[in-house]
Amino acid sequence: MKKINYFSLAAILILSLCSFSYAQFHEEKYSPKISIKPGIGFEYFSRTISWDDDKYSSNLKSYFFILNAEFEIQEGFSLNALAGYSFSNFDSLIFRELPFSVELDVGDMSGFLFGGEIKKSIFSTNDFEVEGLGQFVYYLGSKKEWDIPDLNVEGSVTGKPWWMRASAGPVITYTGFDYFYPYIYLSYNKLWGKFKIEQTIQELSGSEDKKITGKSVFSTSLGAIYEVFDALTLKAEASFMPYNKGLDFGVMLRAMYSF
Amino acid sequence: MKTKKIFFLFFIIYIFIFSASFQHHRFDRYKKPLYRFFRPRIQSINKGLPFQLKEKQYVPDQILIKFKPTLSELLIETTLAAYQTKKINRIPRLNIYQLQIPRDITVEEMVYVMNQNPDVEYAEFNYIVYITETPNDIYFKYQYALYNSGQSIGIPGSPHGTERADIKATAAWEETKGEEEVIIAVIDSGVDLLHPDIETKILSSGRDFVNDDFDATDDHGHGTHVAGIAAAESNNNEGIAGVAWNCKILPIKIVDEEGYGDYYSLIEGITYAADNGADVINLSIGGEFTAQALEEALKYAYEKDIVIIAAVGNEGGAVLYPAAYDDYCLAVAATDYDDIRVDWSNFGPEVDVAAPGERIISLVPTWYPSSIWDDFELPPYGYGFGTSMAAPYVSGFAALIKSIKPWLTAAEIMNIIRYSADDTNKEDYPGNDEFIGYGRINMEKALVPIKITTHK
Repeated sequence: MKKINYFSLAAILILSLCSFSYAQFHEEKYSPKISIKPGIGFEYFSRTISWDDDKYSSNLKSYFFILNAEFEIQEGFSLNALAGYSFSNFDSLIFRELPFSVELDVGDMSGFLFGGEIKKSIFSTNDFEVEGLGQFVYYLGSKKEWDIPDLNVEGSVTGKPWWMRASAGPVITYTGFDYFYPYIYLSYNKLWGKFKIEQTIQELSGSEDKKITGKSVFSTSLGAIYEVFDALTLKAEASFMPYNKGLDFGVMLRAMYSF
Repeated sequence: MKTKKIFFLFFIIYIFIFSASFQHHRFDRYKKPLYRFFRPRIQSINKGLPFQLKEKQYVPDQILIKFKPTLSELLIETTLAAYQTKKINRIPRLNIYQLQIPRDITVEEMVYVMNQNPDVEYAEFNYIVYITETPNDIYFKYQYALYNSGQSIGIPGSPHGTERADIKATAAWEETKGEEEVIIAVIDSGVDLLHPDIETKILSSGRDFVNDDFDATDDHGHGTHVAGIAAAESNNNEGIAGVAWNCKILPIKIVDEEGYGDYYSLIEGITYAADNGADVINLSIGGEFTAQALEEALKYAYEKDIVIIAAVGNEGGAVLYPAAYDDYCLAVAATDYDDIRVDWSNFGPEVDVAAPGERIISLVPTWYPSSIWDDFELPPYGYGFGTSMAAPYVSGFAALIKSIKPWLTAAEIMNIIRYSADDTNKEDYPGNDEFIGYGRINMEKALVPIKITTHK
């Protein structure tokens, strides 16, 4: 519950900060280019997660739909608030600390998603621009209940997951084309979370908090921004996250409208 | 020409016998020519009959007594002297006295008189316990109880088992084979400490309450057979596999060479096991009578989170004690190679689960008389029948659960064993019934993670 409050508070703070900053800059007429860009987006990733002190691993697959509001506070500095709905798949996660060990094979679990981005231009040349980008996303799954099959008495488990992803690094954008800006984003990209599960079978009961950690910690993203017209921008990105025994990946699509 | 025909005839007969005998032996190292012709047999410990109480029901000149805790040592001594009884022994943990009574009074009278004394909490008979299994002929065959492929169960002509009518041990071993720290106390006739298929699995030479020493060597055979089922050395290219590959056996002898013991020794054995690190207690023994002292000993062990597994008995009647103490014991009935309850398995509401108890191969003490073993230096094995054989499957199973989840309480482990059982007689008796309780144990279901797929 503390976690929920903490991240909800963080999301609210970012939104407030964005609103406050926007209002302040707008009021002071500090920059005529201050803008707000609402948008929608879709993202999917598949990441290898490890658990039980790196003893076991499985895949976390997640796709989410987001609404975002990007506030350009001053030229080259913007904050972006994210909120959305996600479906995350934790299948093959095994809980061995319950009276009866269980393995999840339940498919997607829905939940809300909150997050924020901060972007600051560092320097630019005629054809290139280098920015610093930081991002975090917090997924809070809704509580679900499942039957335990094959026992000779009735029993069930309830589960509630969350995960968080934080990344930071430079974005190098080629600005030599008109309306089309390819970029590469190199980032430190960390994913962690927890799956709390409770089991009840007649007089038997138990619970387990399973900590999960993404195996990959670095990400290389290749993407492009396309200005369809002055007010509408499309952004597409593919990410590759290597780890010692494989490669995780993700894709992202966003459409943003400028006022 | 005639000689040639006779020689040819003998040759055909020889080939026929050789082929017939060859298919019965699974252990290559024992393939010695003579052995195939003389199938090893062991003398039955009880002339091929199941152990049943025939004469005495309690020790004729002894009683068990517990005084109220307010009574001082001096007053107890005075009381005992006043009744002309002699203290034989005392279990300090439970403050239970074993008394010898005077010759001019019967045990019944003494129990009655003592129970009239307001300083006495209870006085009762020192009942006889007895074992419930008889080893039979020896054959080296598959252990259908652990994995039943539908093979022939015994000698040629024996029935074939039903495929997968077993306790699903092989799948469970993928998850755990047990931990050395987990100890199964076998309270029985002792264990053959020198049998090559178990000697490395024995924690210590144990405790002998029959001869009052610290050498629980088996002079009967029952305890060795039981211990082998629970935890014989496994994956060693020899003999049989135990259920709990890596767990240790603590042998505690309370049954004499004739197969009998008394409640006092049983109580001593249980408290000794509880005080010496046992995680699981196997009781393939039973008596027909209830006794507060015995229940108190079981409670003492249970409260130390020791899982107590007890055989229900083989008379086709009521569940024996201690298995009938439902609050503390997991009572085990017997099924066969077709997952059918055997009709000699005792029954009643106390039955919790069942395990295979029909024609179970396990260890026989190395001193057991057999010219075959002597001639070929074979470690002996034999078949046993009874709930005595069923109980150690459950004890080994409990030890595996304790190994993989040491934080679980005894009550939780017992419930896991109950809830994961296969209700093999559900067509006739759905649910928990008095014949096989929740059903035949299923180790795979309890130990291997269950796939959760169904939404509530």
